[in-house]
Amino acid sequence: MRDYWLSKLFFDLQSPPLADEYRANRGAVLARYPLKPEVRAAVEADDVAALAKRVNPYLLRFYFLMAGMPEDDFLRRIRASGTSGKGKTAHG
Amino acid sequence: MAELVGVYAASHGPMIVRNWDKLAAEERNSLDTAFRELGRRITAARLDALIVISPDHWVNFFIDNLPSICVGVGEEHDGPPEPWFKAFPHRKMAGHPALAEHVVRTALERDFEPSVSYKLALDHGFCIPLWKAGIDPLPPIVPVVLNDIEPPFPSVKRCYAWGAMLAEAVAGFPGKLRVAVLATGGLSHSIGEPDMGRIDEDFDRDCIRRFENGDPPALLDFLNQRLPSAGNGASEVRNWVAAHGAARGRGFELIRYDPIPNVYVGCGFASWRLG
Repeated sequence: MRDYWLSKLFFDLQSPPLADEYRANRGAVLARYPLKPEVRAAVEADDVAALAKRVNPYLLRFYFLMAGMPEDDFLRRIRASGTSGKGKTAHG
Repeated sequence: MAELVGVYAASHGPMIVRNWDKLAAEERNSLDTAFRELGRRITAARLDALIVISPDHWVNFFIDNLPSICVGVGEEHDGPPEPWFKAFPHRKMAGHPALAEHVVRTALERDFEPSVSYKLALDHGFCIPLWKAGIDPLPPIVPVVLNDIEPPFPSVKRCYAWGAMLAEAVAGFPGKLRVAVLATGGLSHSIGEPDMGRIDEDFDRDCIRRFENGDPPALLDFLNQRLPSAGNGASEVRNWVAAHGAARGRGFELIRYDPIPNVYVGCGFASWRLG
């Protein structure tokens, strides 16, 4: 199950001007999306594991690249998350 | 009538572009060799149109409207919007509306209901193989977006049938055209999931062997069993299955396979036997 507004936020952030605004003032952009409190908290905490449960993995990967998380850091966090609950991988 | 003169497949991992300078020399050489041979074959085919089957990586479609299959019928397509792919030389690419509309009509007559778009942006899935293969000038492109990205996915059986329908559509097109099909993506890889970076080389080599052998039922059985555990990116093998259908299951000649950790992808390149 996808979280629609979280997905929409990540999708919209593919726009370079919005990504620039987000990196400069994350709160202003987040305020325009009706995120559930726990989802917004996960975004603000860069909680890869919590967000991975709610969005498409390609959008997740894009988001943290856009947000500036180093690749090694993202890999470490996503590998630690074990979020799929389906063993090694989720979607064939 | 139009003639299907080539059916090809190529991986399209973004790291082929984004991470190019950090790849080992042998990794770059491997990819260059594969793409060069793919480009040589496509150029030698003297195409009037190229049907390219790729997923849309959240460029044209979102979860508010997500087609399983979409055919681009526009006169032109936009180039890739990814900020890291500005080196791609075409901001616009010609379409082939007559062939694309004929594909859509044929599809509907054969009980497929594709989505239709007059305005698509072709992301790296389409454009990395076209660029790295050095195809210049580009033939007019009929893009086919196949959803390999967000479940639920079309069945591999249906993808095979879609490819067979494509071959039928080309054969029935009332015009003298030389047409090829290029499927992009795959083989095994995992993106944004806990096993990100894992390449399932056993799956890839088994998969390749079955594509080489032809035998569509055996291939589809294999994929129904193994595709779900080969990484989410392996879903793009559906595009290869459509290509297999276009080639009437004749089997392919492997151009190259190389599992490249720095690209995160089991990189595969192939050309189907059509004779």
